[in-house]
Amino acid sequence: MIAFLRFEIVRTLRNVRFLIMLIAFPVLLYLIYAKQHGTAQGLTVATLLLVSMAVYSGMGSAMFASGPQLARERHNGWMRQLRISPIGTRGWFAAKLVQSVLMIIPGLAVLVVLALTYGHVHLAAGRLGMLAVIIVLGTIPFCAAGLVIGLMFDSQTAQVAQMITLLVMAFLGGIFISWSSLPSGMQTVGKLLPSYHLAQLGWNAAAGRPLGMSHVAVLAAWTVGLGAIAAWRWRQESTAA
Amino acid sequence: MKTASPQASPAVVFRDVTKVYNGRVTALDHVSFEIPRGATVALLGPNGAGKSTAIDTMLGLRKPTSGDVRVLGMSPAAAVAAGKIGGMVQTGGLPDGAKVSELIALFRQLYRARRSQADLLRLAGLTDIADRRVEQLSGGQIQRVRFALSLAGRPDLLFLDEPTAALDVEARRAFWQSVQAIADQGTTVLFATHYLEEADANASRIIVVSHGRIMADGTPSQIKAYTSVRTIRFSTPVPDTSSLLRLPGVSDVVASGDAVTIRSGDADATLPALYALGQPVRGLEVGGGGLEEALIALTGDGDTAAVPVTSSFDMTRVG
Repeated sequence: MIAFLRFEIVRTLRNVRFLIMLIAFPVLLYLIYAKQHGTAQGLTVATLLLVSMAVYSGMGSAMFASGPQLARERHNGWMRQLRISPIGTRGWFAAKLVQSVLMIIPGLAVLVVLALTYGHVHLAAGRLGMLAVIIVLGTIPFCAAGLVIGLMFDSQTAQVAQMITLLVMAFLGGIFISWSSLPSGMQTVGKLLPSYHLAQLGWNAAAGRPLGMSHVAVLAAWTVGLGAIAAWRWRQESTAA
Repeated sequence: MKTASPQASPAVVFRDVTKVYNGRVTALDHVSFEIPRGATVALLGPNGAGKSTAIDTMLGLRKPTSGDVRVLGMSPAAAVAAGKIGGMVQTGGLPDGAKVSELIALFRQLYRARRSQADLLRLAGLTDIADRRVEQLSGGQIQRVRFALSLAGRPDLLFLDEPTAALDVEARRAFWQSVQAIADQGTTVLFATHYLEEADANASRIIVVSHGRIMADGTPSQIKAYTSVRTIRFSTPVPDTSSLLRLPGVSDVVASGDAVTIRSGDADATLPALYALGQPVRGLEVGGGGLEEALIALTGDGDTAAVPVTSSFDMTRVG
């Protein structure tokens, strides 16, 4: 599993253009909006936006670690080759999970540095550390989402499915625009999404408020649900047809 | 390298295996066979005959609808998990962004028993392109990389599903040399092909599959004998076509100058009678009546009455 993880990371890191594109968008948004004045959720715009962009970047990175690439490699037969090697289902899932989590870190690091310098954000080390932990662990449901997309869609539609999922998560979850400004129907939907709860956790951590265990519970439920779907699809593909 | 206890069990046991896709397409129809350890066996048949389904079943990539499949005395899943089997499956692609050497190193680590990196590169003819990335490889090179991956674990049992499809003549020759070297080290090899020549040249036993059933199972010469037609060529100063036509088994005589070509349904009877004519016979050659004809004869030659339920049957790529 370690060997596979290293292999996956090496070939992902080689795709520099892909990595830059993954980080560029949230960084650009941060550069545009972080200088605005005002407060919301008890946070300055620069801090609020750090959390939002970290969540957005984390969701994207986690999903892109598997998502369309997995769909492509199911299609071209690489997954068949792996299935007849001794890596095993558990080893493969574990490696993909760790890979997704590691993929989150570069974007998060760039945003934090940007916030501390360009954004003049002042966060106690404890709060910043807590925020980082929340972003890294809180994007695990999105790793599972990436696996589900990669296992459910073919190589052509997976890319689109991923973008739509990411944008719906970002808009309805209150990351691109304030959740309270959404129409009430969309608010209801948004409040069910993991992005909403991850953002709430992040803002609470940054503001030094209690995190709210209900948010953690919702994220855990999404992880379990999506993980079960991914495992079911995996089994279905390995035994049927 | 091999453990003592399952040594006694055959490399492959297929017991009354049936595979039905989507409840209507029968890819394997009550197939039973056994492959002893150390054998090199060809699964020969046209596309859609059920060869790939059979191999996928042995690799645990598909579950049979009914029947029992054992490899090395274990379930396919257990044999895969134990790293005892290697396989080159059809449409087994490679991931972008990886180098040839990295892929091979990965598979060496995934398997417990390992061949050295240098051995694998050499066996698959990849030494010169070890640093290339997957995106830069030709179809034949990708196939050779997949061959190297299938050997990484020094498997007891090796499955090759139409392994030479993208290889040119030279690469094919080198490929079969490597397979031979691996078989000589004790690995059981089972390969699928739709070329009788390939099965004939590289296997000690051929199982002919068509419409999901075993049509014949024997040594290459036994299989080729299923086509009774032989072509007998020789030269003789003044060919007497009418007496040649009366020889037992002869259906057709063509004489051109002193060169004669006879087609016979029973060469064993024709040859003694030919010599008994007393005419000088030089440069005698007996050829099979066309290897592909044997395959077509065995697999039913589009005889739809013999087609069970397979709808995806396709004879067009035979040969």
